Amino acid sequence: MTLILGGPLLWLSVILPVGAGLIAWLAGVETEEASRLAGGISAILLAIPGAIVAGLYAGGLVSEGVLDPFYATFHRVGTIALAVDGLNGPIVLGVSAVTAAVAAYSVRYMRVRIEEMEREGERAPGMGLYFFLYNLFAAAMLGLAMATNLILFYVFLELTLVPSFLLIAYWGYGDRRRISLLYFVWTHIGAVLLLTGIIYYGVKLGTFDYLRVPQLSPVGPVEAALGTAAKAVALLMSIGLFIKMAVFGVHMWLPYAHAEAPTPISALLSPNLIGLTGYAYARFVIPSFPSILLGWRNYLVALAFTTIIYGGLVALTQRDFKRFLAYSSISQMGYMLLGLATLTSIGIAGAMFHYLVHAIGKALLFMTAGVFITELHGLRDIRAMGGLARRYPLTAALALYGFLHLSGMPPSPGIWSEWMILVGLYRVYNHPLSTLFSIALVTAVALTVSAAYSFITMRRIFYGQPRSDLAKKGAEVRNVLVVSMFSLLLVGFLVFILATPLINSLMRVASLLVIHLV
Amino acid sequence: MVSPVLATLIWGIPYIGAGIIGILYVLGVKNEKVHGVLSAASLFIAAILATIVGYHVLASGQPILHEFKWIPSINVRVSTYIDGLSAIMVILVSWLSFLIGVYSIEYMKGDWGVPRYFFFFTFFVGSMLLVVSANNLLLLFIGWEGTGLASYALIGHWYTDEEEYWVGVPGRRAMGVPMYFEPSHSGLRAILFTRVGDIGMLIGMAIMYYLTGTLSITGIAAKAPSWMAWLASHHVLTLTLVLFTLGALAKSAQFPFHEWLVTAMTGPTPVSALIHAATMVKAGIYLVLRFAPIFYYGALNAPAPLHAIVVHDTYQYFMLVAGLGAVTAFMLATMALVSNEFKLILAFSTASQIGYMFLAAGAAGMLVAEGNVEGFAAGVLAGLSHLMSHAVFKAALFLISGWALHVAHSRFIDKMGDYAKYMKLTAISMWLAGLSLMGIPPLSGFFSKELTLHAAEEAHFQSGFLLGALTALLTAAYTTRLIVRVFHMPPYEEPEHKPHEAPILMLGPYFILALAALVLGASWWWLAKVFAKAGELTRAGQLALRVPAKMLIVHFTPVVDAVLAGAIASILIVWYLYKIAAVNFRALLARSALAKATYDFLFDRWYINAVIYIVFVYGFAGLALWLAGVDFAIDWFYHIGLIAFFGALSFATRALQRGRPDYIVSMYLYMAGIALLLAYILWR
Repeated sequence: MTLILGGPLLWLSVILPVGAGLIAWLAGVETEEASRLAGGISAILLAIPGAIVAGLYAGGLVSEGVLDPFYATFHRVGTIALAVDGLNGPIVLGVSAVTAAVAAYSVRYMRVRIEEMEREGERAPGMGLYFFLYNLFAAAMLGLAMATNLILFYVFLELTLVPSFLLIAYWGYGDRRRISLLYFVWTHIGAVLLLTGIIYYGVKLGTFDYLRVPQLSPVGPVEAALGTAAKAVALLMSIGLFIKMAVFGVHMWLPYAHAEAPTPISALLSPNLIGLTGYAYARFVIPSFPSILLGWRNYLVALAFTTIIYGGLVALTQRDFKRFLAYSSISQMGYMLLGLATLTSIGIAGAMFHYLVHAIGKALLFMTAGVFITELHGLRDIRAMGGLARRYPLTAALALYGFLHLSGMPPSPGIWSEWMILVGLYRVYNHPLSTLFSIALVTAVALTVSAAYSFITMRRIFYGQPRSDLAKKGAEVRNVLVVSMFSLLLVGFLVFILATPLINSLMRVASLLVIHLV
Repeated sequence: MVSPVLATLIWGIPYIGAGIIGILYVLGVKNEKVHGVLSAASLFIAAILATIVGYHVLASGQPILHEFKWIPSINVRVSTYIDGLSAIMVILVSWLSFLIGVYSIEYMKGDWGVPRYFFFFTFFVGSMLLVVSANNLLLLFIGWEGTGLASYALIGHWYTDEEEYWVGVPGRRAMGVPMYFEPSHSGLRAILFTRVGDIGMLIGMAIMYYLTGTLSITGIAAKAPSWMAWLASHHVLTLTLVLFTLGALAKSAQFPFHEWLVTAMTGPTPVSALIHAATMVKAGIYLVLRFAPIFYYGALNAPAPLHAIVVHDTYQYFMLVAGLGAVTAFMLATMALVSNEFKLILAFSTASQIGYMFLAAGAAGMLVAEGNVEGFAAGVLAGLSHLMSHAVFKAALFLISGWALHVAHSRFIDKMGDYAKYMKLTAISMWLAGLSLMGIPPLSGFFSKELTLHAAEEAHFQSGFLLGALTALLTAAYTTRLIVRVFHMPPYEEPEHKPHEAPILMLGPYFILALAALVLGASWWWLAKVFAKAGELTRAGQLALRVPAKMLIVHFTPVVDAVLAGAIASILIVWYLYKIAAVNFRALLARSALAKATYDFLFDRWYINAVIYIVFVYGFAGLALWLAGVDFAIDWFYHIGLIAFFGALSFATRALQRGRPDYIVSMYLYMAGIALLLAYILWR
């Protein structure tokens, strides 16, 4: 039985950060104290949805679904509502934990960034506008995860795009105006393709719902209702989502946007935003088009492996730390796609869990990159690093923990998603001999590449002797940068130990999604 | 009656200890004594618990199971099961680790990374204890990966990569590939080589889980006949078993994964002792000893129509395991013959000795064709007994090497010499441990090695047996060479400081271990009973490793006599060549091209490292560069090519809007044409 909350907690958790950000912008955040206050309040407000969901998990309420009491049904649109269930629980947790930690992190990082821009003679907008856009971006991602209807989903999708575009354009690095435009155009193409599919779907069905409210059960296959157009709709939605997910072939915008965004935004864009499209795939594409996807399964698995190996190997050739991380994100999206492409409940559950894993791990790593950018005068070139563990031991430990997430090794929760995705994969591809052999070979290459780029980069950055004068300077200060990273480490470890309710409810909801796939 | 929760605490306590060390470090506790003592104390408690639980299991004949839920929906349980095999393993691992931990306190004094060292050290032992006592495959795998992570951190402990911490001769190359390794490089090799195997293991686990719906090892064992039959009927049984075992092969440094181990000595020496004796490499062979009975049981009891094919596939699998073991044993022993680094010789020897254990377990499994359960049990227990003897003497040898390297300020044996004059107790320890490695009675190594060779003989695996016997001679030769060079011959260069005996905290552990090698050997008749008991308490499905204790005692057959005589002859020959004839090997190498080529072949480790690097490492690096080119092309296509194309298109169509009269006229004509057409359609 779905639980209907006593108050509009979910709507409030989306609206409050935006409101606080708006106040910060209008009031103007000039002093350091004010920016600390704004960052602190944003962090707390963004942590609240995570705390709510964690509480619901602790109460054993998530797997049946939790609905916000404020919902309304409109003719030919469907029901506009926000809900949390087993499938998006990990997503909300991931968005909330990362955005909260990064909000605190931004206080120092953005101050240094704005000072730097002013030194270079550029006029950068202040922290007030930053926190407004930041909170809008974060809240839109929360809404995206909790929406139950395609119209609402699309509105939130666009709401993530606009602030993130502005954040890159205002405070980014390099050729930031061109890159923000590039980001905008690319993801907009994806969004429009998706929208075309959505409109056809909604008009033909008479509703844009993908979850029935208040039961929160999936609407189910629509192939018969869409008739001959079903394949086209599935294709439009897939391509649209894949562009935003940056799978191989349409990934080219990501390395630019994620490397040149201000680092706190990279830490949100890279794991959180792109992974949300993987969630969307599980949420409404798979249950809507089961037999079409079954026909595409082999291609999707091939695309996933290509993305993993391609992203991983190209990452190895990068010189820029943040660009390296961007390619690694492409590779990690391959794992999410792999789990989804198995079309098994455990594989889909693994993909969703991997969202959370990647969110924590990649955020930790982008924040590591940010530490050196802030403390070592914009040091981003991996070739000029080396030996940094000696003077940044805690940062090194945090980065290592981040890399463990990417390579799926305990004591990070990455082991759970890796395991579930592999079980899903080998449930499908375990015989005959040639299939098992070739899939095993590709799996070995893919997972080894992930581990290889993780540990090779760990070595290049932190071990050996410093390879430049810049890398010899500085020493670790336990400031807000390190403390906010440490809080993410704790989240990661807790998710590893206390994965039980997350995985249990994921498995329950995922089994409903694939009910028509047998 | 022992409370079952103690079984879980065996591995829980070191984890808690590691956690406290980590928290204290983050809180800023700098005193290195605190970290060292915390580590040793937690290991001591674990060892006491392991002894209580292990003794209880062996004495009462009742395995202990303690479990609670973790993630029910994917069948992960925190499940600790101490049966005969696990009882022996936890006792062995915990006590050895404790002794090495005590040694570490003295050895690591004044090092700049003490808290990190003890954090990973304790974490390492906790993970290993988890591996050998977990009854849930995924829980086991978490411990398994924990040992990988800890070994990575400890091998790369001195990650600043100063030359004194390298392994290999600086500047040396084989086929163009550098043959010297910095600590951070060695750590990387350790984690990546083992990772490849672990992926295979995960795949095997995933398939087993899919077919059985359980991750419990006892559950998988009970269902072995049916899932193995299913796999065999789909022709993927051998491949699945091999994939699963890749993890063990990589962890235990068997060919072709042995390369990571031989460069793993860049870490502090106690870490080498830990990796080689108590943890890490022993995890792999443990897994084989744990699963060989399961596969054996599954093959023997497969349903009738598929029985023959399951037995056939399982036999193939076991033959591969035994063959790889034998090849590794021989190959690494030849490399040890020419190595010039103390720890490197010991490392070759470890992989080689573990090869014996794989040979024993694999050969035992080959008896599946005859359905000989007693012979199988004897073979598996032979592997276990060699694991035990090796753990004891190899820990002693590595701890001795730590002192030897410290005294010489060098890792090269040419810089050492005449140690017997300055440190009597160390020399005695070295000889005891060395003779055990060489397989000379009455030391424990003799008994266990003969048992493993007997297993190969029993399985009619002649080539494996021959390689094993040959390895025994080589082992005697390289060990004698090492001892004579370091303890009984003057150094090539006079050292600056006179060597002296080790402090008691260092001497104590290795002296105790060397004596243990003697005591264990002398009481082998009693140990045989313990192993028989442990075997009886180790079950896979309906199959228990039941074997009369007298089958685990070595009888002096002509074969045994011949191997022993060969080993003794090797010792005497080496002694003669070095001490009496004083052959100048360096001059020999300079004179003979053939000798030099052979020497290079062995010294550069059969060029296997070079081939792996050229094919895989450089191959993938090249592929990565090529893909980066592809990426550039994609980038160009979207962000320059397409833009240029549409730019040109825009330029062309803009021409229509420029207000030129000819275009305006044509536009009017065009519009008029449309208007006429519309008028025609309406009028009609």
